[in-house]
Amino acid sequence: MKELKILYLYPDILELYGDYGNIQVLCYRLEQRGFKAIVEPYSIGDTPPDFKSYDLVFAGGGADQEQGILAQDLIKYKDSIKEAIDNGTFFLLICGAYQLFGKYYKGVEGDIIPGLEVFNYYTEAIHDRKKRCIGNVVIEAELNGQKTKIIGFENHGGQTFDVATPFGNVLFGNGNKFGDTQEGFFMNNVIATYLHGPLLSKNPELTDFIIKYCLDRKYDEDIVLEHLNDDFENKCREILLDKFLGAM
Amino acid sequence: MKNFFILLAMKILHLGLKIFGKNGGNFLGKIAYDWNPDIFRYFKIDCPIIAVTATNGKTMTNNAIVHVFKTAGKKVISNLEGNNMETGILSTLLKNCSLTGKIKADYLVFEVDEGYVPVIFKDLKLDTLVVLDFFRDQLDRNGEVESLILKINDFLKTYTGNLVLNNDDPNVARLGAANPENHNVYYFSVEKYAFATEDMKEAGEGKFCPFCNTRIKYEYYQYSHIGKFKCPNCNYGDNEIYQLATNVDLKNRTFSINDTTYQIRFNSIYNIYNFVAVVSCVSLYQIDTEIVQKALSTFVLNNGRLEEIEINGVPTIINLAKNPTGSNVSLRILNEDNDEKELLFVLNDNLADGRDVSWIWDINFEQLNHVSRIITSGTRAYDMAIRIKTAGYPIEKIEPYTDLHEAVQNFYHTDVKKYVIANYTSLQPTRTEILKLNRD
Repeated sequence: MKELKILYLYPDILELYGDYGNIQVLCYRLEQRGFKAIVEPYSIGDTPPDFKSYDLVFAGGGADQEQGILAQDLIKYKDSIKEAIDNGTFFLLICGAYQLFGKYYKGVEGDIIPGLEVFNYYTEAIHDRKKRCIGNVVIEAELNGQKTKIIGFENHGGQTFDVATPFGNVLFGNGNKFGDTQEGFFMNNVIATYLHGPLLSKNPELTDFIIKYCLDRKYDEDIVLEHLNDDFENKCREILLDKFLGAM
Repeated sequence: MKNFFILLAMKILHLGLKIFGKNGGNFLGKIAYDWNPDIFRYFKIDCPIIAVTATNGKTMTNNAIVHVFKTAGKKVISNLEGNNMETGILSTLLKNCSLTGKIKADYLVFEVDEGYVPVIFKDLKLDTLVVLDFFRDQLDRNGEVESLILKINDFLKTYTGNLVLNNDDPNVARLGAANPENHNVYYFSVEKYAFATEDMKEAGEGKFCPFCNTRIKYEYYQYSHIGKFKCPNCNYGDNEIYQLATNVDLKNRTFSINDTTYQIRFNSIYNIYNFVAVVSCVSLYQIDTEIVQKALSTFVLNNGRLEEIEINGVPTIINLAKNPTGSNVSLRILNEDNDEKELLFVLNDNLADGRDVSWIWDINFEQLNHVSRIITSGTRAYDMAIRIKTAGYPIEKIEPYTDLHEAVQNFYHTDVKKYVIANYTSLQPTRTEILKLNRD
């Protein structure tokens, strides 16, 4: 039986916005097709993981205070994370995790939480604590040459700058900064984004894109994924796209 | 003089509203507060003021405290309809005061929104504050739980009144240290119940000690992050317990405190916490145990909070759930019931609900006990259907309807026992739609 090994980073800390749902959706869509999903959690105090031995690494968003605690832990793995990315392991990073993979996060008081510096973007908190980018988001991304609308929900105070290769163009909502035209970061085998929702629950095409990438890489093939019953997802997307983009 | 005129104007307005059969809700308070935000100072109150705050369980606990006092023959003024922000409390005061701002009662009891405790009690002298729990709730509206706790903690730094705290919630118990000079801190707790677990089963907060950042250790979890905990480094959580509920029997709906058994009308572990808070609070005012027993045995809430009704002979349980913990508690009750049943889950994403519905992924739909069909409805019926499907529940047994009327009609096509969970703005419309069936 073909299987994918997924590393789930800090499941007990980066779990504020239902991001765990992404793992559930991945497992569901793998298992429905007869593939095996092995999910291994890692958190502070556990044995250091061998990042490159995984097909997919996932991390979500958390509370500000707890995010500071884990940044110190994550930075220990800077080199092995870089190695895994270069080696082709897929990384899906949401919100707080998106920020942590950049150069740094600058807080309201000017305090700097150093990032992994895997990518060149950086994030700065907005001075007014009460101001956050909050709301539904629709972006248009290109997956394997196909334009696809991605639906999610953003809730972030941090404004991310210097993103060389964004995930998509904003059709509705803010994106990397207030009123931005671009959202997230996308490079080969890395998708980093502010989109909760959970992201994969409303975007089956994106989920299958990730699954296909991981299987093709692991088993050196060009797999055609079996069609699943996506009636609920399709109807959900139809309603939401109409609600958010209909008036435009 | 200005305040006198505000009061006079509000009295006339109130009378006008009454004549037209309107209750007014927050309306009076809103006008008066906009006119003068310092108006709270103008009231002359001689009786103790008691406030209940929490993420979940405010209305239940507040109304039960009022019921106990009323059973004891006391005159109580309260915001029983749940208008719990500054304008709601102000409306309640305006409706019940004389033109000189005098309020005649034995007790004022208020449920207060978590964010508004510091605002309201800046100028009103609080005698007892009861804090039940803090859970993640509408993050897009309220922000993170931590910032809310810090606001209340700041308020408590100079507070010296009674503080009744849930010792089994790390987010709440920490408030007892806000003012080391306050010797009126009372902790309540509930002994391990039959469905308590060693691991956390539902999303929760409070994983790290707020004093030394060490990971908190739990002996057991009752639900979400509520349970017996202690910081292994600084012993935070190891407090003397003022009132401890023991012998929790949800089937027979009883629990004990100090050898006294209380019969209640509710059957969730989460209600036991509400009621031990009630007992802790009223015992500070020397209410006889027999009166408390009598009051709790007759206390019900008929507003869709664990409301038990029959619809054309079909037993139906309706519960409000506006966040993951509320939903998981409802599902706990459902799973502790071995009968066959069907579930209706109504999810809206209106402004008052929070636009973000990602919290439904923190609800445990895995391993449902004897649920033969699930109907989803509300503006986000399909998001809910996807959530339930992904948890492994068979697609063919899930029926989403964005139209609530259609959903309820189809729900009652069978006479299987019904459980209804609805979030904030969907609760009353759902309830009305269901109650209509009894009249048809």
